[in-house]
Amino acid sequence: MITCPFCGPRSETEFTYAGPEMGRRPADASGGSDEEWAEALTVPPNPVGPVVEHWRHGKGCGAWVTITRDTRTHEVLEPGDDG
Amino acid sequence: MTDNSPRLPQGGRIDRSRVLRFTFNDRAYQGFEGDTLASALLANGVHLIGRSFKYHRPRGVFSAGVEEPGALVELEGDDASGNRPVTTVRLTDGLVARSVNCWPSPKFDLGAATQLVARMLPAGFYYKTFMWPDWRIFEPAIRRAAGMAGAPAKPPETGRFETRNAHTDVLVAGAGPAGLMAAYVAAKAGARVLLADDRAEPGGSLLDRRLTVNGGPAGDWAATLWADLAEMSEVTVLRDTTVWAYREHNLLILNQRNPDRPGLIERTWRVRAKQTVLATGATERMMVFPGNDRPGVMLASGVQAYLNRYAVRPGKRAVILTNNDSAYQAAADMGAAGIELAAIIDTREAVSDACREQVPGVEIWAGAHVVDTLGRQRLTGVVTSQITTPIPCDLLAVSGGWSPNVHLHSQARGTLRWDPDSVAFVPEATVQPSHSAGAANGQLTLPEALASGAAQGVAAAEAAGFTPNPPPLPAAEEAPYTVEPFWAPPKMKPGAKAFVDLQNDVTAADIALALREGYDSVEHVKRYTTGGMGLDQGKTGNVNIIGLVAHAQGRAVGDVGTTTFRSPYTPVSFGSLAGQREGSVVLPYRHTPLTDWNHAQGAFMYEAGARWRRPGYFPRDGETFQETVNREALAVREGVGVYDGSPLGTFELKGRDTDRFLDLIYTNTFSTLKDGAGRYGIMLSEDGLILDDGVSFRLGQSRWLMSTSTGHADAVHHHMERLRRYDRPDWHVQVTNVTSQWANATVCGPKARDVMQALGTDLDLSREALPFMHLAEGMVAGLLARVIRVSFTGEISFEINVRPRDLPTLWERILEAGAPFGIQPVGSEANHVLRVEKGFLSLGHEVDGTVDPFDLGMGWIVSKKKPDFIGKRAMEIRRSAGGPRWELVGLLPEDVQDSIPEGAPLTPDGAKVPSEGFVSACVFSVVHNRWVALGLLQDGRARIGHGAHVRLRDRVIGVQVVAPCFHDPDGERLRG
Amino acid sequence: MIYEVRIGRLPMSALFSLQGASEAIGSWAESVLPAFPTMPNTVTEMDARQLLWLGAETWLLRAPIEQEETLLADLRPTEASEDISIVCVSDALVFWRIEGDEADQIIAIGSPLDVHPRVFPDTAATWTECFGQRALVQRVRGGFDLAVDRSYAPMFDDYLARITA
Repeated sequence: MITCPFCGPRSETEFTYAGPEMGRRPADASGGSDEEWAEALTVPPNPVGPVVEHWRHGKGCGAWVTITRDTRTHEVLEPGDDG
Repeated sequence: MTDNSPRLPQGGRIDRSRVLRFTFNDRAYQGFEGDTLASALLANGVHLIGRSFKYHRPRGVFSAGVEEPGALVELEGDDASGNRPVTTVRLTDGLVARSVNCWPSPKFDLGAATQLVARMLPAGFYYKTFMWPDWRIFEPAIRRAAGMAGAPAKPPETGRFETRNAHTDVLVAGAGPAGLMAAYVAAKAGARVLLADDRAEPGGSLLDRRLTVNGGPAGDWAATLWADLAEMSEVTVLRDTTVWAYREHNLLILNQRNPDRPGLIERTWRVRAKQTVLATGATERMMVFPGNDRPGVMLASGVQAYLNRYAVRPGKRAVILTNNDSAYQAAADMGAAGIELAAIIDTREAVSDACREQVPGVEIWAGAHVVDTLGRQRLTGVVTSQITTPIPCDLLAVSGGWSPNVHLHSQARGTLRWDPDSVAFVPEATVQPSHSAGAANGQLTLPEALASGAAQGVAAAEAAGFTPNPPPLPAAEEAPYTVEPFWAPPKMKPGAKAFVDLQNDVTAADIALALREGYDSVEHVKRYTTGGMGLDQGKTGNVNIIGLVAHAQGRAVGDVGTTTFRSPYTPVSFGSLAGQREGSVVLPYRHTPLTDWNHAQGAFMYEAGARWRRPGYFPRDGETFQETVNREALAVREGVGVYDGSPLGTFELKGRDTDRFLDLIYTNTFSTLKDGAGRYGIMLSEDGLILDDGVSFRLGQSRWLMSTSTGHADAVHHHMERLRRYDRPDWHVQVTNVTSQWANATVCGPKARDVMQALGTDLDLSREALPFMHLAEGMVAGLLARVIRVSFTGEISFEINVRPRDLPTLWERILEAGAPFGIQPVGSEANHVLRVEKGFLSLGHEVDGTVDPFDLGMGWIVSKKKPDFIGKRAMEIRRSAGGPRWELVGLLPEDVQDSIPEGAPLTPDGAKVPSEGFVSACVFSVVHNRWVALGLLQDGRARIGHGAHVRLRDRVIGVQVVAPCFHDPDGERLRG
Repeated sequence: MIYEVRIGRLPMSALFSLQGASEAIGSWAESVLPAFPTMPNTVTEMDARQLLWLGAETWLLRAPIEQEETLLADLRPTEASEDISIVCVSDALVFWRIEGDEADQIIAIGSPLDVHPRVFPDTAATWTECFGQRALVQRVRGGFDLAVDRSYAPMFDDYLARITA
């Protein structure tokens, strides 16, 4: 179950996984060093434990939700906070 | 019926007015409605059911429930299925069953006669024997001789399966005394309750025993409460339904057999429960001693069930072996049913008066145990530790204590605690919102179970937000339960067969061997010996294995711990897992409005990306496949063709920031386009590799129409929504998916404009008024239309977009208007030829997630002016590293009649070395009358004019490297 | 039919996707629309026109197909301000009506949505998953309307026939 900010708790099968939180993309492509870009693009967080990640209510209302999920148990530690 | 008949003259929960005929190993028998196959076979005096997996020893009925380890059969006919415990097969009229693991018959079994198999199968035999290259020599013989039943050859002739979802406040697993109380309390509080029980009748263990509730038979109390629950509007009661999996987020999966609907074989329920009450009861354990597998050795609770529930006497003269009090109740029931009680062997030094009072006059040997059993295919006697003279008997009822059924609690990641008092693992802490009740929680006697069920019903209802007002507890009594561990006789002869797993033929000696060989964790012991890995998952034996390991290692049982409990609790049919998803709906499929027409034309239909079923080609009588494709492709090159382009992904974008949004997601610039003008563009992922290609047209101020490849429409939509949400949240862009709001027929070829004129339109379609990459809205053939000048074929094309409701009409009119020009419908195959001839990209062929625009020779599409676009930096970083890249080239096989399989590797000189590229597409060119190919080749552009080699398994094809365009490289024709 | 239901395809509806702030949409088309729903995933109705609130800034206007041309003329999608998006999507969805005492069981077979009246009341409508695809479920008198992208309509006919056969 994932709690959609618009629809409330729904089956996770209605949602599309969109990867871990990677930080917002810089406003333009020239900022930051090559190393920082390469790091950000190729080393996403993949912890054994809580990870902050994005899901989209793709088969539902289309809202995005950011949750903290424990990768060992799939427990959602903090429900979604964005609409 | 005579006095000698195993079927008791009265009693039981069978319907003696309904006689059922069945066949076992080709012999006809009779039973009654309410029988299981096990009770019916025992009632007919059949004790030998099959042979064991490894040693091919005789196996009889050992229990009366889902814990049955030994008595497996396969069913034939409509019920065809393998490895079914006879204790869980409900008897039906006409049932046909057969033994497994024995050939030619259980009485004369070739495997056992030769002991061919046994010598090959020591503990750990999988690991010692099944090693390359030798395992392939053994495997066929082992499978034949030691295999289980085969899978049915085909699905059931009639009937089907169903999967459904359900939501409930409280799910109660098990309708024994605890589960019934919990469900009743929660339901009375107003909660939505789903109560599931895996038996045909509610009551759980109450059905097997002679107990009273409120002064009446306990079974009647259960039936009444169940009926009351069934009447309540917020309650769902399911019999014959096993809760077999407890998943994350309180998702439970149930298997319902014989649902009350015609034609439905089984149903799977996926239940989201706010709270669960696990009242799954307890399972009696076997005892470990030599010869404990002989037919006639049976769990005491099993004997009790056959007597009380099925009115079947599984023997005439019995010995009872126990380490606990519950067997005395079973013994009393046996005595009452006329079974002669030869002796009770109690491994404990002291036996309480409460026990003795239940079996007055019966000889009780305290501090004793069984050292061997006699008999071949049926028990004839028992040898005890007390005297050397065997005790003659045909039934040995054993009770090794009770194990709470903690499977669901553990699947839900709840922890377990070893309770030395009850000699059992009991639930400790829960992780998900669940409550264990009754025997499943270690409350084994009836008064305890009723109280526990009510209390957990209250807890669950309260946690789900209700205010329960529990009724007074029903009156019930049962003698207390005490137990002392007895894991195995202190001394056993070498080679003694004292089983800990009756199904996989694992003995106490195998456990000792595993420990000697260093497999000292209980998880390793399990895998090395296969103990507890059978269909029964060691329900009667696992705790004995753990006890033996603890005993051998001098550790506490709780420190050894259990193996992991995994779903399913009991075997589940594949059919119920698939549910309604069979036949035509196994995979999703999508249709355009022309499906009916395509079928009527005899088009060859297949899936062509994103689940769309499309016409591959339109064969005519007498044509080969290649002739059909050539004819369709030639029509477009020389005359005119029409194809259905409806599956292309289509989006309408709106908002004040849409112009710069498009500039951000495409590598080239769109914001400079004027109304009605469009452009081909490439989108990259943030990693600088191609995500999609497509075209976008400006419809007006801040309004755009975007079209994507068919296969990546959803991915592009997701990409855009993600950018909108997380990367440019302050930009105002709204995206509407209009893929199914617009359908299109694309008229293409040198005569396309003639056909458009013949169709009739109020639009000026001249080259000047509607140039290539422009869009116009107006009427075509009397229909509201958007005409778009794009080309996926290299020829002049008019993509006529209409509302899907109008597409069949438009299509018919195009074919009428085009008939004088020889118009032909074109399928996906010919379209593929046309795009390869032209060197146009195809997602999934040339664009495989590893290439950027420069690799494809399309550096021109990457803006040098724009400060930013998605993927820009990553592409720059990757390219700045230098090094060779695989680049798009054309390939001409040396022999013009040679075709190359798509995906074939290119290797240096065709040698057996790592590849330097691959062939992405190869088609028969109707322009050049030869096979032509596209491919990605290392440093490909620099190698144009040179040779390369395709390496196949059996030969090498020489190819000439050429530019990746075989037709009209300047694009004069498509702009026409 | 093994379930007590009647299932039939409905004629096309006139459908308009409305996106943007409710104030902006209201100021453009207030006279055309029913009042905006106040609860997410609910429906309001006026003159046979229904307004479904299906996402944070997303509504679906559903009306009899006979009103399509009038609505096009009144809503003027191509002229609307750049703050809002109005797109006609009448062809994009195919609707079925599922009526009868066991209509909820058909939804349960197809969808993980909880349609218990306490959770999914009389005025409820929402996007959810059905037979693996994105689908719209709307409660109507005596049952539900179920809608899916047109391209999946033949598959839904197939599924609905299979599960009730």
